[in-house]
Amino acid sequence: MTVFARACRSTLPVFVVALLMLGLPPAGLADEQRATDDEQRTTGEAPGAFVVEDGKVDPATYQGYLVYTRVCMACHGPDGLGSSFAPNLVRGAERLGWADFAGTIATGREVQPGQVMPSFADDPYVMGNIPNIYSYLRARGEGGLGRGRPKIIESMQETTEDIEEDNEAAAESADGA
Amino acid sequence: MLREIGYALTAAGLMAASVAYANDNQLELQQNPEFWATQLGNYQGNRFSELDQVNRDNVGELRSVWQFSTGVLRGHEGGPLYVGDGRLYIHTPFPNKVFALDLEDEGRVVWSYEPDQDSRVIPVMCCDTVNRGLAYADGRLFLGQADNTLIALDAESGELLWEVSNGDHTVGETNTMSPLVVHDKVLIGISGGEYGIRGHMTAYDVETGEQVWRGYSTGPDDEVLIDPETTTMLGEPIGEADLGVSTWPEGEWERGGGAPWGWVTYDPELDLIYYGTGNPGTWNPEQRTKDGEPVDNKWAITVFARDPNNGEVKWVYQKVPFDEWDYDGVNENQLIDIEYEGEQRKGLAIIDRTGFGFLLDRETGELLVAEKFAPETNWADDYDMETGRPNVNEQYSTYRQGVDVNTTDICPTAMGAKNMQPTAYSPRTGLIYAGINRICMNYEPFETEYVAGQPYVGATLTMMPAPTQEGDMEGRMGSFIAWDPVAGETVWKIDERFAVWSGALATAGDLAFYGTLEGHVKAVDIETGEELWRFKTPSGIIGNVNTFMHEGKQYLAVLSGVGGWAGIGLAAGLENPEDGLGAVSAFSALGDYTKLGGVLTVFALPD
Repeated sequence: MTVFARACRSTLPVFVVALLMLGLPPAGLADEQRATDDEQRTTGEAPGAFVVEDGKVDPATYQGYLVYTRVCMACHGPDGLGSSFAPNLVRGAERLGWADFAGTIATGREVQPGQVMPSFADDPYVMGNIPNIYSYLRARGEGGLGRGRPKIIESMQETTEDIEEDNEAAAESADGA
Repeated sequence: MLREIGYALTAAGLMAASVAYANDNQLELQQNPEFWATQLGNYQGNRFSELDQVNRDNVGELRSVWQFSTGVLRGHEGGPLYVGDGRLYIHTPFPNKVFALDLEDEGRVVWSYEPDQDSRVIPVMCCDTVNRGLAYADGRLFLGQADNTLIALDAESGELLWEVSNGDHTVGETNTMSPLVVHDKVLIGISGGEYGIRGHMTAYDVETGEQVWRGYSTGPDDEVLIDPETTTMLGEPIGEADLGVSTWPEGEWERGGGAPWGWVTYDPELDLIYYGTGNPGTWNPEQRTKDGEPVDNKWAITVFARDPNNGEVKWVYQKVPFDEWDYDGVNENQLIDIEYEGEQRKGLAIIDRTGFGFLLDRETGELLVAEKFAPETNWADDYDMETGRPNVNEQYSTYRQGVDVNTTDICPTAMGAKNMQPTAYSPRTGLIYAGINRICMNYEPFETEYVAGQPYVGATLTMMPAPTQEGDMEGRMGSFIAWDPVAGETVWKIDERFAVWSGALATAGDLAFYGTLEGHVKAVDIETGEELWRFKTPSGIIGNVNTFMHEGKQYLAVLSGVGGWAGIGLAAGLENPEDGLGAVSAFSALGDYTKLGGVLTVFALPD
């Protein structure tokens, strides 16, 4: 779990969660708050924060898309939609909550005989990117982000390099762990 | 004294006979048209049956006589074996159960076998926990388990006779393929090209499971079993030593993939086995360059002709040097005798992953024909017939476009224009019948680091349906085609909503059979492709339609049960990129048509 702490340390700039921007009805918002009460989302420091604006996203969420497509898609299908092999994660990530989501990636999980999620604890690239994957999947679910490769919101472009540097740092520190 | 000599002679005779029996049993069985004794129907991989009780005139009356649920949910590849003892022998994906079913008693379970395997093997199987089926010879069944254990079972009782480990799943080695018995050896490859493994083909003794030889796909000649003076490439000796080392950046051959996980075929007259090797390690071509220049990465994506007795390589043909698209070259090599430019030739035909239909001379490895069977194929314009190399189209070269650049609209996709689904060949028509995929991709290489047992992929891939051409069915993602391997032309085609991921069957009843991902088994007129019959099985079909005769009655049987890479890639449906993000897709989602679940369905004509 030390790896997590390091990964989480690379927290993202303060983001406004997409639902607020999308102006979804209060009922939805209430559900959303219940689901994430333990995440201190309002501070914007929690993993899983995201911005979706006209189908575009913040750099961390974009990074999450890339990592998802490189690593997770092989079982969970394109765009988090699930496959004949592994479940749909568009809503699943949100339902799990941050701790279980990150824990499942790190330790793996045997759902039933024949259905097994591997542990990625030895993969520094994945471990360093769990918050970004979580942001991406929440953006797909709660944020209403569509399928395919999103674009980055122009005004946030400049932070892309910072994110990558953060991820590299996280990967390195995880590597050494 | 005489009596003793007599005993000794008898004993010697028995020993000789038993060796001869082990050598020839599979060949004898497959020469009997009533049996389906090996997954591809015969050693040549033809998937052709001489049976004609079910034919063009009566196939409309074909009906299901019984069904059997395997109790396993994953993708069901391969098919049942019938060797004349009134039983069907079937297998399942992980946990790799084996069943002997009584054909006359509606599939009553005569015996079943379930290996005990570490479930951690499941998530290192890149594209579902499929298995392509059993092999049989001389009263023994052979199964390659997911965890790389090769086992022999007594076909009569289901008792385990021996087991041997062919690999280590903790470093990403797994098994999906069907073994093949040749002489007194059982041959098996390995999977794990997405985990940086080093591929190999290995022969084990049928009696004891003892390893006899192993030929690697990459590395020094003495481990690949190449002699550069005698092993040929396009008809000439290779000449240069250790190309399996020198065509890689330092040490990369050790994780160079080349996993042979497809089908092995065999020519009993030439006494040679044929198989193809998979992709060269990481999908990021940049990491496979040497001194900043592309190199061949031998012997990945290569057709090997080996002597089954000792593994020595007779000839090689590398279909894709320096792969940039994951065009895993494992597709089966159909051994066909054809007339080429007025001469009788021993041919070897491939409906290849790359979208090209190849024809080679199987004695020498010379390249005779390389034409596109999937017309959308654009990664290469054609093949240089002198050098045997593709003329790669720079626009679709993921290496030229560069790392972290998304090269778009490459056809076919990494799934290939044809994947593992085996083709059929009718010697009566001279045509090959093949289920194919009509899907393209965007491919973005990225720098990846090797960690043992973790995916070693290095490219981001998204897929979209291949552009349609005039006369194509709107939204089609697959076709079933009749291909002339000598002319290099498609004779007829049937478009299908989804990739056609099932094996084909051709029969002397003038019929071709295949399955669809929605779950239909279809029979078509072998001359025209006209559909004559269909039956909806409970789940999508990625298995193979097999046929055999028992007590004078012709049966057909197929495993349904969707999954495999098709199930992963197509479950949610593909998007047309031109529709823009978030648009409602015009292309169908497989999940709207079928769900998981393995079932064997057996068909016959009414009495």
